[in-house]
Amino acid sequence: MNRKKLNYLYVSLIAFVVLFLVIGQAFPTGKTDSRTVSAESASIAAPAEPKKKLVMGTSPDYPPYESVDAKNNGEIIGMDIDIAKYITGQLGYELEIASMDFNGLIAALQTGRVDFVMSAMSATDERRQNVDFSDFYYAARNTIVSKKSAPLETLESLAGKLVGTQLGSTQDIFAETIEGAQLKKLNKIPDLIQELNSGRIDAAIVEDAVAVEMTNANADLAMHFLPADLEENGYAIAFPKNSRLVDSFNGVLADMQESGKLDEIARKWFPEQEEPADRLLNLNIDFSVLKGYIPYILKGVYVTLLFTLVSALFGLVWGTVLSLFKISGIKPLEWFATAYTSVFRGTPLLVQLTLIYYATPQLLGFDIPALMAAGLAFGLNSAAYLSETIRGGIMAVDKGQREAAIALGVPYRKMMVRIIFPQALRTILPALVNECVALLKESSLVSVIGVTELMRRADVVRASTFRAFEALLLVAAIYYVLVLILTSFARMLERRLRRSD
Amino acid sequence: MINVTDLTKTFGKNQVLKGISTAVEKGEVVAVIGPSGSGKSTFLRCMNMLETPTSGTITIDGIAITDPKTDIARVRQRIGMVFQHFHLFPHMTVIDNITFAPTQVKGMPIEEARAKAKELLARVGLSDKADSYPSRLSGGQKQRVAIARSLAMEPDIMLFDEPTSALDPEMVKEVLNVIRGLADSGMTMLIVTHEMKFAREAADTIYFLDDGKLVERTKPEQFFTKPQSERAARFLEQVL
Repeated sequence: MNRKKLNYLYVSLIAFVVLFLVIGQAFPTGKTDSRTVSAESASIAAPAEPKKKLVMGTSPDYPPYESVDAKNNGEIIGMDIDIAKYITGQLGYELEIASMDFNGLIAALQTGRVDFVMSAMSATDERRQNVDFSDFYYAARNTIVSKKSAPLETLESLAGKLVGTQLGSTQDIFAETIEGAQLKKLNKIPDLIQELNSGRIDAAIVEDAVAVEMTNANADLAMHFLPADLEENGYAIAFPKNSRLVDSFNGVLADMQESGKLDEIARKWFPEQEEPADRLLNLNIDFSVLKGYIPYILKGVYVTLLFTLVSALFGLVWGTVLSLFKISGIKPLEWFATAYTSVFRGTPLLVQLTLIYYATPQLLGFDIPALMAAGLAFGLNSAAYLSETIRGGIMAVDKGQREAAIALGVPYRKMMVRIIFPQALRTILPALVNECVALLKESSLVSVIGVTELMRRADVVRASTFRAFEALLLVAAIYYVLVLILTSFARMLERRLRRSD
Repeated sequence: MINVTDLTKTFGKNQVLKGISTAVEKGEVVAVIGPSGSGKSTFLRCMNMLETPTSGTITIDGIAITDPKTDIARVRQRIGMVFQHFHLFPHMTVIDNITFAPTQVKGMPIEEARAKAKELLARVGLSDKADSYPSRLSGGQKQRVAIARSLAMEPDIMLFDEPTSALDPEMVKEVLNVIRGLADSGMTMLIVTHEMKFAREAADTIYFLDDGKLVERTKPEQFFTKPQSERAARFLEQVL
């Protein structure tokens, strides 16, 4: 590696640290932020302070274990939550719930974002390598769900069939052992339903509670339970390695088992007779299932717009700074801006987002809230694209404009702000609008780190209703309307700017 | 008022100014003429450091503007410049073009700047165009606004870089009349021009530049009737 490259690294590193610090100052951190944004987004206690509070990580898309009560303020409810509340209450802690994607739970434990995880998680050997588990508190049965028209009832019948599972779930690992079955791993339960309905998979393997809900909501699906196996499918509470909490939790669990409290909670969430849902025979799409969920979804519009606005503004400001670096004529600044653009344009946004969210606490000891991590990642990314657009816009302004301003004695900053930028803006406005539209739609990506914007809310509702399409179609329509409003607003702005022609 | 000593300017391998020395008195009107490529515009643009000289010094009222330590922005406030292609700010109205520098650079109150701008517009005969955008004006009108914009900073010196070269013939006169009025008011001016008749009538001194050198520096009468150098004679033969 030659010296020039080392210089690059240095400059980018320093700029990054400064950037993080600046942004850290600009955003309110931790609890207050997540509260104002939504009850579901992650909020974390600082690990160092003496805590009376325990933070529990969960992926609330798995009723009746945990789900978002979208019809009631979006609170997280479920059997796991009730058990957690009881245990922490007995131990004298306050319980705080952090919602995140199931696949991120183990990472959250390892990075100290949460103190324990309850998310219908079974204690597999693989997981045991990374985290500690409590004793089992519940055992679920693996269940085959298939179309009524082509029922599959036994493991043997699955040979040669395409079987769907939820990625990372216990059933996913169980399904690996089915002889002759071909597996298709999907991210969410609603995805499984959708694939079943459209005939892309022949069967899905899920656990009992889920199967009951799936068949209730989708009349043409049938289910067949497989025998329970406590060793394989026992659910346990996960802790970071060597956590002192394991023993005290096990103590309370044993008491609950003895006193019948555990059974009581289980009965509350698994009623003997499932209420039959509305009969929707042969109807694949029925928007009445969304009744009651609409206000919850609409609240996501606010989060999505807030997020888009913050990341667009941040991207615009930082992109402008970068574009000025590029035309500054100062070599190190030019190198930095070029290297920056190259890295942020050359790697996927989803990777940047995940890295910033999970790596920041470990690298900088700063517990970055999900919405801020998302705003930062999108802002940094869009700045890379915008810096090129803005640079082009500035270069396109007639050189004489600059000379006229200089000759009048106008200082550099005033010249850029009042003379050059307004003219550059006119040229690049269509490109800026494109970028905003892209940001608005790509904001759906941030659902992966648990920010409750529109897409995340649609996922939550899909999980709660066990219906694949309705919520998706609704948010698609909402996104479309938002984009239409944005573009017509941009047209108005453009007309205003063209006034002088 | 302006003292130029041994001024040179090189673009890459091309030496455009090859050692020019001269002095301009207060109130003097200088017409800079010469064949294209002779360095007229570069010479003019050095006077307010739009081009940085390669060597040599320029002092204005004793201030060495070629010294890197000099606050050149302050000096430029005292030197107005009018360009061949006007360079009005297209996103501002005529009156905003004129009031921008006084309010933003000198901190003049906006009411005062507007009153002064209206006075200047009256002087260049464009009182009715205050609220128009530049795109609605003819070339001659644009150039007169550009002159008013420079005058709004109350400069001691005015530089004109081929102010009529981009104009349709019928508009040349209205602009030259404004410049002539300015010359009569005692403003120190350097004008790069191809308008020989105008140079002869309005200028106190003619600078004839050829190949980066100040070949002649004489009174107009003498220059146009009895040029001293053979090159000037040949040039006049071609243009007159």
